[in-house]
Amino acid sequence: MRGRAALPVLAAVAFTAGTALTIAVAVRGLSDAQAAAARDVARMAAELWELAGGVDEAARAFLDDRVAIEAVPEGETRSGSGTHAYRTGSLQPAVRITVPPQPRMTPLPPAPTALALLGSLLMSAWAVARRRTPPAPRYPAIVALTATGLLGATAVTTHRWADSELEALSDGHATHALRAVEAALAIGADPERAVRVAGLPWATSAALTRPDQIWTMPRGVARALATVPNPPTASPFTVEASGATYHTGLVIPPTPAATTPSPALHLALLGYEETHAPTVPLAATATAATLLTALILCLLPLSTRPPLLRRTVTAWAFLAPAALLLAVFTFGPLLFSLWISLHEWHLVDPVHPFVGLDKYRNIILDTDWWAALRNTAIFTLHVPLAMAVALALALLTRGSRRAVRLARLALFLPGITSVVAIAVVWKWLLNDGYGPVNRLLESVGLGAVAWLTSPGIALVTLMGISVWMVVGYQMVVFQAGLAAIPRDWYDAARVDGAGAVQRFRHITLPGLRHTLFFVLVTSVIGSFQVFGLVYVMTEGGPLGATDVAVYHIYREAWEFLRFGNAAAMSWILFAVVFAATWLHFRLLERRTVRA
Amino acid sequence: MRSGTRAVRTLPALRAAVLPGTCLVMAAPFLWMAATSLMGQLEVFSSRGVLPAAPLWSNYPEALTAQPFGRYFLNSLIFAVAVVAGQIVTATTAGYAFARIDFPGRQKVFMLFLATMMVPVVIVLIPRFLLIDALGWIDTYQGLISTELVSVWGIFLMRQYFRTLPRELEDAARVDGAGPFRVFLSVALPLAKPAVATLALFAFIDAWKNLLWPMLATRSMEMRVVEVGIAAFHSTYEINWPYQMAAGVVAVLPIALLFLFTQRYFVRGIQLEGIRR
Repeated sequence: MRGRAALPVLAAVAFTAGTALTIAVAVRGLSDAQAAAARDVARMAAELWELAGGVDEAARAFLDDRVAIEAVPEGETRSGSGTHAYRTGSLQPAVRITVPPQPRMTPLPPAPTALALLGSLLMSAWAVARRRTPPAPRYPAIVALTATGLLGATAVTTHRWADSELEALSDGHATHALRAVEAALAIGADPERAVRVAGLPWATSAALTRPDQIWTMPRGVARALATVPNPPTASPFTVEASGATYHTGLVIPPTPAATTPSPALHLALLGYEETHAPTVPLAATATAATLLTALILCLLPLSTRPPLLRRTVTAWAFLAPAALLLAVFTFGPLLFSLWISLHEWHLVDPVHPFVGLDKYRNIILDTDWWAALRNTAIFTLHVPLAMAVALALALLTRGSRRAVRLARLALFLPGITSVVAIAVVWKWLLNDGYGPVNRLLESVGLGAVAWLTSPGIALVTLMGISVWMVVGYQMVVFQAGLAAIPRDWYDAARVDGAGAVQRFRHITLPGLRHTLFFVLVTSVIGSFQVFGLVYVMTEGGPLGATDVAVYHIYREAWEFLRFGNAAAMSWILFAVVFAATWLHFRLLERRTVRA
Repeated sequence: MRSGTRAVRTLPALRAAVLPGTCLVMAAPFLWMAATSLMGQLEVFSSRGVLPAAPLWSNYPEALTAQPFGRYFLNSLIFAVAVVAGQIVTATTAGYAFARIDFPGRQKVFMLFLATMMVPVVIVLIPRFLLIDALGWIDTYQGLISTELVSVWGIFLMRQYFRTLPRELEDAARVDGAGPFRVFLSVALPLAKPAVATLALFAFIDAWKNLLWPMLATRSMEMRVVEVGIAAFHSTYEINWPYQMAAGVVAVLPIALLFLFTQRYFVRGIQLEGIRR
């Protein structure tokens, strides 16, 4: 009885904790952003203080007395939020400049808090009411829908609130940065230095004509950019708020001496809603809370059958380690990768604008990518070849199982050992000029072959090596399959006068069908993911002849750091693998079932 | 019985030659690797034969100290052992649940798990990297290991094995008042030792061979695994083939030895599941 009442209470607790945690994550993220902003302002004040030669007035004029400047006792290195300890000359901090974070407009988001409270009340009331009602489940679907809906609504409104707060913070911060530059210029700093006083994560473009053309860069790069040979010389400064990005347009008037007007240098300050948005932790918390609540509510209909409920809980307790790890490192990343593929996502770039299906459209028009997919498809043709060879070998060595046992190491080793070591060996063996294989060919009067350096041959060479890698293993697998076919069948066929070909066609093949099918499916899936061989032996060359899909994606992601593109390509590859597997099941497995 | 055609006479001879021939083709590159690893650096370019004129054993200590291979081996070992331990825990528990406990949605959840075997690993690499990076785990053992702790193939293998075990023993333990975890730990798991050994073996080899993830999850030389180390060694000592071959031999040897002593678990893997990749 108690156990039955516990589930609704548990659901109510999960809901309340989930909404509270979601809001807390957003509030925490916002506090972090405010602390970061305060710290940056304190740093600006400190730089002004240094520019003015250690005069408090400069920093005070900049910050309207919000700033606190105090000498730091020797040996103390503590720094808190909104604090910038400034060192002069020696390694010893000289002053600590403190700026209190801007107070938030509302300490708690009103709409999400109301939603969360309402939901928690409803859930609690329902849980209490459930204690008195008969054991039959009542409205579990409605409750589940309401709970998930409210959780989702809380997450969405919280995110919106965080977004608007961060935007306000950015507005204030852009003004600060601008005033810092002006103050620095007023002190008499040269413009380069003045720009660096406000050295924040800058976004810039050579000519900031269209806001959507802005590309962003990390702080270090922006700083280097601030020292370009065309320093901004004078006002006017403007702060434009154009959607997500605030531009501090420093426009240089063309110098009369120059024949062409020197290009204006535009610096734009990244909004905090871009750099500090707590989207991911917020989404993760809300999703986890929703899943947990939904899971508990799903168990509810089982509460009328305690043994079943106990079994389900036990099963999930057993599944928990695997399920949690899969959720975090496989299912979550799958969705995340889909999300990335819809954005312009660059590793070093803090901003990821949404681009919808643009990536997919561009990739579908990208001939290099199609060439990589085509190479992968051709490479996959080594699978049926290897299977044919392995089957032939298995048939020929049939009956000599003891000999095979002795030969196992030689047969298995290519398939189980280090791919990189294998690739290096083959690279040496197949070297154009001095590789042993070519020297052998030459010594018997045949010409040398450009195994890895000729675009027409390299992919075939890799296919051959792959056959070598898998054939021994497959042979042993097929032998196990052959041994499972009853000998009587062959004897019966022989009595009926069936020849060797007929016996193979009507007994061996059907008997091995299951084995063949699974070897085919798993090998094809594996072959679509070939990487090590290409990475070590050809690096996709010559002339992209061996540029296979995974290697292409690898370079897109980790050489060019275009994560958005790479994620979209991965999804296309997934679709291809999925289609291939589905086709196999469709065309082959159904026949197996019927057979 | 039948007329003595030529085929009947040549077939046994062909058959007798097939196995040794295949073994030779399979083993030749490894033998060549071993031979080259003992040659002089210039000898490899001029030598007409396969064998070195005089074995140059000093290639091994020199190649292995040119980069911290001891450290690479230690890292590979830590990585592989941790992955094996993790996969044993996740695969036995989940496999047992799928094999023995009848809960609603079992088939669907199992299918969902199996479907992940179709997912190309490359698709989850970027999110995994960003996740590990956000946790500050790049270039640490926990970052390297944590993503590899569950293998759906292992779950499938354990499920198949648990299904072949007789239920009676478990039922007897249950009658004696043992709870489900007790039954699993003291009855089912000890019976599943052979399958666990197979799983451990394949998990170890897969971890040892893993190139892509360790390459992304580690940065410093101190955190490199053997596979990444050999690849890096290859690009550094591009033309010093004997050194590279020596490193290759050392990388292949542990797996070869492991195989020699654990052959029967490989074969059990084949029997249990029909296939393995």
